[in-house]
Amino acid sequence: MSAIFPLTFASEQLYLLTAVGLGFLFGFALERAGFGNARKLAAQFYLYDMTVFKVMFTAILVAMVGLYTLAGLGLVDLSVLWINPTFMWAQAIGGFLLGAGFIMSGLCPGTSVVSAASGRYDGAVTLAGIFIGTALFSVAVDWFPALERLYESGGEISLLPTALGLPTPTVVLAVVAAAAMAFIGAEQVERIFQSKYGTIELTPRPTPRTPRIKFALAGSLAAVTLVSVAWKAPAPEPVPMPMGVIEPLDLAESIVASDPNVMILDLRPDRSAAGIPGAFAADDSTAGALLTGVAPSVRVVVYDDDGVRRAAPATWPSTLTYRYVRGGLAAWTAEVTTPMEPTGYTLAERERLLRQHEIAAYFSGTAATTTTAAPPPAAMTSGAGGGKKRKGGC
Amino acid sequence: MNAKPYWNPYVAGVLLGLTLLATFLVAGQGLGASALPKRTVAFVAHEVAPTWTEDNPTLGRYVENGANPFKDWLLIEVIGVVLGGFIGAMTAGRFSATVEKGPRISVRTRLLFALGGGVVMGFAAGLARGCTSGQALSGGATLATGSWVFMLMVFAGGYALAYLVRRQWI
Repeated sequence: MSAIFPLTFASEQLYLLTAVGLGFLFGFALERAGFGNARKLAAQFYLYDMTVFKVMFTAILVAMVGLYTLAGLGLVDLSVLWINPTFMWAQAIGGFLLGAGFIMSGLCPGTSVVSAASGRYDGAVTLAGIFIGTALFSVAVDWFPALERLYESGGEISLLPTALGLPTPTVVLAVVAAAAMAFIGAEQVERIFQSKYGTIELTPRPTPRTPRIKFALAGSLAAVTLVSVAWKAPAPEPVPMPMGVIEPLDLAESIVASDPNVMILDLRPDRSAAGIPGAFAADDSTAGALLTGVAPSVRVVVYDDDGVRRAAPATWPSTLTYRYVRGGLAAWTAEVTTPMEPTGYTLAERERLLRQHEIAAYFSGTAATTTTAAPPPAAMTSGAGGGKKRKGGC
Repeated sequence: MNAKPYWNPYVAGVLLGLTLLATFLVAGQGLGASALPKRTVAFVAHEVAPTWTEDNPTLGRYVENGANPFKDWLLIEVIGVVLGGFIGAMTAGRFSATVEKGPRISVRTRLLFALGGGVVMGFAAGLARGCTSGQALSGGATLATGSWVFMLMVFAGGYALAYLVRRQWI
């Protein structure tokens, strides 16, 4: 079966548009669950309305079972899914503080957005507080080295099955079973504490009329404008170079494809460390001789240790095109032969990650040596992910 | 006209879970909320003090290499949350410019607590690299160890302080 994740998109805009749709469903479901109401959320902590727990754990169960089932069937590739890295102490202390802020404001960051969007002043004020708190943390983490150490310590990807030393299906089923029992318990706890505090009066409120609607429509319009402004923002211009530049990953792909029209020159002063496979060892003077007689269709790629070399000497044939590897061998090692960690911020980054994982696997099995007349590496065997190029991005 | 009742929590949970699952498949990551304050702060800070922001341990990655902090899936998703919350409240007859609070507290005190709670949560979401949406819900569903620690500590923090602020709510 072929993977349904990750999906491909025709454009970055289309990808970002899915964010509006899925965010809409998220906000709508939160509102209909009662999460725009701070009293209803706070009731979780006085045990007479456990809606927070019930909604949250039902959602976690559905998503977890769905995700791990699809992964188990080979339909989803979990290795390119962004997993929250574990920063144990920062998350424990941050979690406790967030819980404290939750009971003070009656809302969490996501629900404060919904609360504010449904007109509640307390939601808007909480959201304003969150902006202030975020700015405070950004300043504090810069000022206090101890806080930065706490913030930065950890960072490995850790999943519960690995951490507990149990098979994944066992952990998934255990979470489902524990949640099911907790749901039954929650229903009973609610009944006990409702007799103590009563239920929350859930305000059949009058439907508002024009001024609020206009206000809210203006807010939505402003949000839409913000999106369009963000989309049209210019991308950073590449700095012009006397020699063209090639991304390490693009070069790797042409090596994998055994492109006969690419010739690689290794210009490092010290070639004791392994270089890019299939490269010709050269320096400024010997390169001129190597390049004489090369067909004009050949694209010459040069590299050094760190991509400092960006100009072709005048002695090289002017009929050929030259490019240097961005970042040199250091970037090659970091971006091609070392598998990347998923970041998941943009579609372009994710597609790059997919390509990179295929290529890293290819090169980790190749002896990376520089020779004076290296044969081109064998073509990538088909079946190893297909090696198909993904179009799209911006 | 009266407001419609809330959904059954388990029904709402299933819809939320399916939305989250679809988000994993489409975006390669979960849902979030604190992206909005984080990226807004990064944007404003970058306008005011570019070098400081680029070197900042928490804001730097949003603006590195000339990136636009607003061109981000999670940020645009939060705008969708605003629209979804607004349409949800309007269609249920629940949109109302009011303050939610218990009967024993003044509006002013309630709003002060809301602001204070917001500040604490903004700080906490910065430290923990996420909030209830991004860590507890999304990270929890992927079975990330740190996200489960975070989630349990959120409940611990809430229950630990609940008695002290009970006048606000009951």
